[in-house]
Amino acid sequence: MTDDKLQLGHVPEDAREPSLVSPPFAALASLIVPGFGQGLARSVRRGMILFFSFLTVVGLTMWRFTIAAPRDTGWWAIFKKGLYLDPFLIIVTILVAALYIWIAFDAYSLSKDRAKTPMGVFAILIIMFFALGWQIGQINPVSFVSNADEALPALGRVGWPWEKAIDYDSVIFRANADIEIPCSDAPPAANTVLGDEPTLISTPTCGNLRTQEGDLGTELHLEGYNFTPGIEVAIMWEDPIGGEFRQRQGGEYVVTIPDENGFFEIDIEMPYRLLPPSATDPTYTWQVFGQQIAEVGDAKLSDDFKKIVEKMIETIFIGMMATFFGILLALPVSFLAARNLMSASWITLVIYYLVRAVLNIIRSIEPIIWAIIAVIVVGLGPFAGILALVLHSIAALGKLYSEAIESIDPGPIEAIQATGANWVQTVVYAVIPQIIPPFVSFTIYRWDINVRMSTIIGLVGGGGIGFLLIQYIRVLDYRSAGMCVWFIAITVAILDYVSAEIRVRFQ
Amino acid sequence: MLEVRHLTKVYDDGTRALKDVSFSVPDGEFLVVIGLSGSGKSTMLRCINRLIDPTEGEIIWNGVDLAQLKGEDLRKARRKIGMIFQHFNLVKRSPVLTNVLAGRLGYTKSWNSILGRFSTKDKEKAFEAIKRLGIENQTYKRADELSGGQQQRVGVARALMQDPEMILADEPVASLDPVLAHSIMQYLEILNKEDKMTMICSLHYLDLVQRYATRVIGLKDGELVYEGSKKDILAMTDEQFKNIYGQEAERVGGGLEGDLSVQEGGEA
Repeated sequence: MTDDKLQLGHVPEDAREPSLVSPPFAALASLIVPGFGQGLARSVRRGMILFFSFLTVVGLTMWRFTIAAPRDTGWWAIFKKGLYLDPFLIIVTILVAALYIWIAFDAYSLSKDRAKTPMGVFAILIIMFFALGWQIGQINPVSFVSNADEALPALGRVGWPWEKAIDYDSVIFRANADIEIPCSDAPPAANTVLGDEPTLISTPTCGNLRTQEGDLGTELHLEGYNFTPGIEVAIMWEDPIGGEFRQRQGGEYVVTIPDENGFFEIDIEMPYRLLPPSATDPTYTWQVFGQQIAEVGDAKLSDDFKKIVEKMIETIFIGMMATFFGILLALPVSFLAARNLMSASWITLVIYYLVRAVLNIIRSIEPIIWAIIAVIVVGLGPFAGILALVLHSIAALGKLYSEAIESIDPGPIEAIQATGANWVQTVVYAVIPQIIPPFVSFTIYRWDINVRMSTIIGLVGGGGIGFLLIQYIRVLDYRSAGMCVWFIAITVAILDYVSAEIRVRFQ
Repeated sequence: MLEVRHLTKVYDDGTRALKDVSFSVPDGEFLVVIGLSGSGKSTMLRCINRLIDPTEGEIIWNGVDLAQLKGEDLRKARRKIGMIFQHFNLVKRSPVLTNVLAGRLGYTKSWNSILGRFSTKDKEKAFEAIKRLGIENQTYKRADELSGGQQQRVGVARALMQDPEMILADEPVASLDPVLAHSIMQYLEILNKEDKMTMICSLHYLDLVQRYATRVIGLKDGELVYEGSKKDILAMTDEQFKNIYGQEAERVGGGLEGDLSVQEGGEA
């Protein structure tokens, strides 16, 4: 039997043995057990591949159906509900059926003409897996396009965040009016406009708050005089116990902009406010006020901007220190992990395997996980980030360095040994000159990675700009987040350029 | 006088590279080792200066068995044996001067060599060796900027720095074109004749063998299959050479006489 070589045209086509069964029988066999017909046609490997592929495809499809219809029981119900809830599963189902039929057809043509190697079934198989991948990945280009406009405002702020980099000193103008709740026999007198002072006049000057049951509050007509023209006025309240809150109407904060004379008028409904009973009885004076924040003086860099610059510097130094300690510790480790240096005896070989295993384990765990562990050990802050990156750097550099050592040319080593040089001299004159270029290149590369990673490390509290970035994102301050992103991008670009330059110098 | 007795080398994987090889080389001889690739030439040369440890046998040189030497004694013996390699084995990123000075490492204290400090005498010696090989214009260039022939000259200069009594040359011209091959071989001949260094050199080409060897040994599958004097070699026909050597044997150029005249004219 040469069957194990018959699939995929490994064996010259004219050298193939004829099929054991007739083509229709092979097709029938493959209909009963997919791939069985191929086996009978003396393509056992191909049959096995098709059998297990089909099994995998059917298994995956069934799994996707149960996910799509989690509440149904019984295969038929799940199948119907799945098709109904996720139309893409229709395509998957059609493809499974096509694959099933095509495997039978493949068995037919394979046993009919042994000189040919039909590949169509593998094309179907690839399309099948692609369709499953599309479904499992929940790929949805429609939502990507149709929801894009919702992301645009945020993206715009991230894309050009620099308004937030500039700040002005500000002064607060405020004018208030007393409101009595509920109305007594003698409500407070309305304000009058005095000279240039900002003034707020409310009509009436007493009323009832909106209640929890939904009874509407009294409507107040507010007129403002002598406000700064063109600058937003926020309408706010101060309750009897000193709490300040903003007036909302229809879910939005109520703001208005005074005209060129500093005048505005606006109607508001008295809001709902839960107060301790002592503060509601019998009548109390509330205040409604208009508040204006005006920018004065020269533009200056905002506090956010300064903080981001500080954290960026911190980030670069986290990366630098991590690389520095990483190199220091990776150098000795790399010699222990180099096979050509450690294969002298079984003891050194055991050390080699141990070191390699430990390096692989450390390296396979992402720095962000190490950062979480480091934060537990040493607390939040840059040191935790440095620890995490050092650990990962040792593992990554140790491996790269040791591979550089393994790949050095043995020629110069034997030449230097032949001159009567001792071990140290051989290392200094034959090994080190050869490993300097790869070492420099790997080290620069690692520095590059470490600076980029230190932004990520910050996300879990490892210090640096990542910490700031995640905070800004959480409070939806996309402008500040955008500045962080910009700084990271600029730093990485500069670093990229510098590291490329250094690498060229050390070739 | 170098005497190799019953030299056998079995590698860890079981390959028997040398099988009971015995021969002797009087001082001042130009011994050429011929044989196919894989016949054990390189292994034999490397056993002599112990880059490879022989499995069995003795290598008596000036009354000492090199096969038994260890540590400091081995290094002291090595400094008196220069070695030249087919692929030059220079440290490619280091300048020519450093490569040549490396030949002096056996005579230099570790600390000084780590710091790159060589004595003034060593440096003068290096400049002299570089000049002697005609590569003084390349002194400060990186070794990998040099052509193949120039690199091999650096290799020869490095060996010279050891003040060797014997030079092992492992196919020194196999990576070079025929004209360069002759020029390198002529340097080796000068070292052999004028500086009285014993030369053990493996070669591939019959005309080079006839031109330079004073004695020849042939290896085949790790066994010594031929031993002949200068007279024997000169009388040897291509047919005989191929019988010992295998069918791949070739002449470099148009024959011994023609090559010589070209070379002598060119070098003068």
